[in-house]
Amino acid sequence: MLNYIIRRLLILPFILVGVTMLVFAMLSMLTPYERASLYVSDIPKRQGAIEDIIEKYGLNDPIHIQYWHWMVGHEDKNTGEVKGGLLRGDLGFSTVGHMPVIEVIKHRLPATAELALLAAIPLIGLAVWMGIQSAVHHNKLIDQVLRVLAIIGWSIPTFVLGLLLLMFFYAQLDWFPPERLSTWASQVVQSGEFTRYTQMNTIDSLLNLRFDIFVDSLRHLVLPVITLSVISWAFLLRVTRSSMLDTLRQDYMTTARSKGLGERTVIKGHAVPNALIPVITVGGMTLIGLFNGVVITETIFNYPGLGKFMASSAAALDVVSVLGMTLFSSFVLVFGNLIVDVLYGVVDPRIRLD
Amino acid sequence: MTIIKKLLKNPTSLIGVIILSLYIIMAVGAPWIAPIPENSRDAYMIPRDGFSTTPSPPSEEHIFGTTEGQYDIFYGVVWGSRTAFRIGVVITLITTIIGVVVGAISGFYGGWVDEILMRLTEIFQAFPFLLAAITMTSVLQTIYGRGEAGGLIFMAKIVAFLTFGQNPAENLDPVQLQILTGMLAIIFFGWMGIARVMRGNILAVKEFEYAVAAKTIGASDMRILFNHLLPNAVFPILVIASMNIGAYVLTFAALSFLGLGAQRGYADWGQMISFARNWVPSLVEHWYIVVYPGVAIILFVLAWNLVGDALRDILDPRLRGSGSV
Repeated sequence: MLNYIIRRLLILPFILVGVTMLVFAMLSMLTPYERASLYVSDIPKRQGAIEDIIEKYGLNDPIHIQYWHWMVGHEDKNTGEVKGGLLRGDLGFSTVGHMPVIEVIKHRLPATAELALLAAIPLIGLAVWMGIQSAVHHNKLIDQVLRVLAIIGWSIPTFVLGLLLLMFFYAQLDWFPPERLSTWASQVVQSGEFTRYTQMNTIDSLLNLRFDIFVDSLRHLVLPVITLSVISWAFLLRVTRSSMLDTLRQDYMTTARSKGLGERTVIKGHAVPNALIPVITVGGMTLIGLFNGVVITETIFNYPGLGKFMASSAAALDVVSVLGMTLFSSFVLVFGNLIVDVLYGVVDPRIRLD
Repeated sequence: MTIIKKLLKNPTSLIGVIILSLYIIMAVGAPWIAPIPENSRDAYMIPRDGFSTTPSPPSEEHIFGTTEGQYDIFYGVVWGSRTAFRIGVVITLITTIIGVVVGAISGFYGGWVDEILMRLTEIFQAFPFLLAAITMTSVLQTIYGRGEAGGLIFMAKIVAFLTFGQNPAENLDPVQLQILTGMLAIIFFGWMGIARVMRGNILAVKEFEYAVAAKTIGASDMRILFNHLLPNAVFPILVIASMNIGAYVLTFAALSFLGLGAQRGYADWGQMISFARNWVPSLVEHWYIVVYPGVAIILFVLAWNLVGDALRDILDPRLRGSGSV
């Protein structure tokens, strides 16, 4: 077990360095001029000024030196001031966000985290439960219905689903509006009397005992949460179903039944725990689905999170911001996958022997 | 031929095959179904009827209505099927070739070659796919926007030749170039899945008696790889490739929706739907700007998924019911 975790941890630095190299390779496809916002917030318009910046930050240096500076920062020879440097948490300046990229991430992460957590938790429970039902009632009506729903959910583009939901539940019925809060509510949230403990409106409103704001933020979250979770829901349902079907065919299921155990005990005690093991391995895939979905979902619902920022930076070709965001999300994904792998090792004894 | 027979027997895959056939008819017959206007310079640019911003509802003249900027939705939906096939098939073709080559080399040679190639694959997979594609598209568009891109222009020309039949000796059309950047970005981050499956298959068939037998009688590496291993490892690849077509069309549509894929007014479903972003509060009134192109893309992707699902069951019993990954 320990060996397995150690091996995973040993590979990790290689992957992380590889990721930064790939991102830097994309950066170095740009001209020094376009890369200047790695170090300066505002590119001066004055003639000759840009050449000074390129000179000052060594944007024409050999590639490995630039990579080094990009990783650890660039020291100004005259003032001793260090700028940039991934390891110092500096991802450069966002032209679209008018602030350092890392600040944008800090600022917008809670909104996205709130959306993704609310999408992920019910999604996992529901999909796993439905997948089990589907397998237990193999080829019965419920199985057929769920299979069809899953394949439709798998095929429907996030942006079409989001727009259709907005069409019915906002434009037609006016139940669930887009954006993150109503105007009155966001005025309260930004006022001094409201303490923003976590920056997540649902939790903060409960902590501040403002139930009207809690309801308002939930109303704004319903549609984005559905939009974001449908694809991953369909995916998880299919994986759970097929894993459960495989398990039900195992010999130990027959053994359990021939011992005279009731069907409920057989399913709950013997089949489900074993069937859920492969479901854990697709945790990383689900995380990717959420990342991808967040960009589209937040854009449609005008929800002020990381995904919306990513989309608007890309549309404005603000490459430094976009690459910063991608780097951030890939780090989250790499660590997410590490957790998934370790969990897998913990629950499945077979993998430990490998 | 039994494959096709089995595809037509299963009701769900039959539905998929029927829908796909209709799309093929639509794509091939586009000039007859939605005739190109006489003054048109590029058949893929949707004809406009005026310049008013407000979409207008379906009428006799525009049976699906017109979207913002008076682009005819029916024309866009019909010609968009050609765009979808071109983009989906070309991206799948190239990513499959790259994946098969990388996976086969990795699985066949093993050792440090395998180690390096698989770590490389892992690095590419460390990025969320859509985010990576968005990033790469914006990088490529910045570069191509400058007009001097050296080796990248060469890559774009290969893809342009496969996608549009563009003569590689001629300069690239700026309208096509924008689509090519999105396609190249998807290709760049789209080959890893196939590579991993291919490697796994080669590893599995390498141990079979016939491969060992071929080696004992002194067959060359290339001969074993091409004559003995590849044909036996290729079926699961076909299944994944067929499912990938739908997924790539979806990804490209998402890029278009974000304003990074096809240009405004190009016959592309994602691009047409992106207009709806400006009309959210009045979508009830202007439902047709989402519903028609939306249904077109849903059915297209659905059909590929239905066929892919059935193909998996038919071609590879080992994969049966294992869910697509």
